Amino acid sequence: MTQQTESALTPEVKAMIGVSGEIVESWGVVDLEYSRRFTQAVMDPDPMYWDEEYAKQSKYGELTTPPIMVSYMSSRVPPGEPDVVTQAFEDNPMSDGIGDVHKHGELPPVPTNLVRVLNAGNELELYRYPSIGDKIKFQNRYSDIRERVGRDGKPFLIITRETTYWNQGDEVLCITRASTIRR
Amino acid sequence: MSASLEDLLNMEPEEIWKRNERPTPDQIRSKQQIYYEDIEEGLELPKYIYKPTPTHLFRWSAAIENFHRIHYDLDFGLNHDKNPSILVHGSWKQSVVPQFLKDWVAPTGWPWKARFEHRAMLVPGDVLIMWGIVTGKEEKSGMGIVELDIGMKTHDGVESMPGSATVVLPLRNGPPIPYPFVAPIS
Repeated sequence: MTQQTESALTPEVKAMIGVSGEIVESWGVVDLEYSRRFTQAVMDPDPMYWDEEYAKQSKYGELTTPPIMVSYMSSRVPPGEPDVVTQAFEDNPMSDGIGDVHKHGELPPVPTNLVRVLNAGNELELYRYPSIGDKIKFQNRYSDIRERVGRDGKPFLIITRETTYWNQGDEVLCITRASTIRR
Repeated sequence: MSASLEDLLNMEPEEIWKRNERPTPDQIRSKQQIYYEDIEEGLELPKYIYKPTPTHLFRWSAAIENFHRIHYDLDFGLNHDKNPSILVHGSWKQSVVPQFLKDWVAPTGWPWKARFEHRAMLVPGDVLIMWGIVTGKEEKSGMGIVELDIGMKTHDGVESMPGSATVVLPLRNGPPIPYPFVAPIS
């Protein structure tokens, strides 16, 4: 006789689909220095990022920046807030360097006792290159939660968190989706 | 001449590195537009080759303010997380994807969408091949919609980031691709 496995997709978990965080403004603006550091680190020497004359004559008419560069601005800690690195090691001397720090705009946790987290994949949708001087806003949302059954017969969840990024004119720059497996 | 992905995977790592097709600023400036009519299924995109070192990983961590020790603290990576070395960031791989697509459709096409998984741990010493191949094309709303399979393989053939992408190329006698980009009506 096979044992009935309890579903991980409980009503409480299902209720999280569509839950959004607050709209948060990233600290600072998109600037040339951040663009320089980012593009050198990703190894993209595109003159659209630094040659104003070339950029002016392009379709875009101005310098652009890498499309998902703004997604990393969302984890910036504004000056004046507690030092998260020091705090992480105060909490745990063997911290992984990230710690358990509350991030602005973070979503409430999905109420599940499945604790192991694995990266399941990413999606990117691009609509506009961020411009120098842009002020960035973002919002997280649980866009999907699905249940699957592993080879061991145990259910697990695939949780997709969608983040939308806007500029100061409320134009969508990009949408990212990060899916994680919870076992 | 551009080597196929299959050919690259039969080469030694140093030989693969010599076949890097990441464009220089001057090559980007002088790039001619590829039109929808120019491409066909099976066409391979130029291969972007990377040889990440610990310093590259540190530079990326600093640029995006990612303090996770698995990317720069070898002792932590080996002894705490039991990883084979410090690890190449998934966020770096993710950020290469739009660059790779943008460069191919430039100067007027649009790198619309991509989706991919992170499967293998990449470490300094790996030679990485960012690749793409055309799997389909369709004309919609006056735009050339092109479907691609994409990925990032190690020199020994391990696929670390299987995925797909959708880019938009202009038609030879068609209207400009709208900017900001507006998705075609299905």
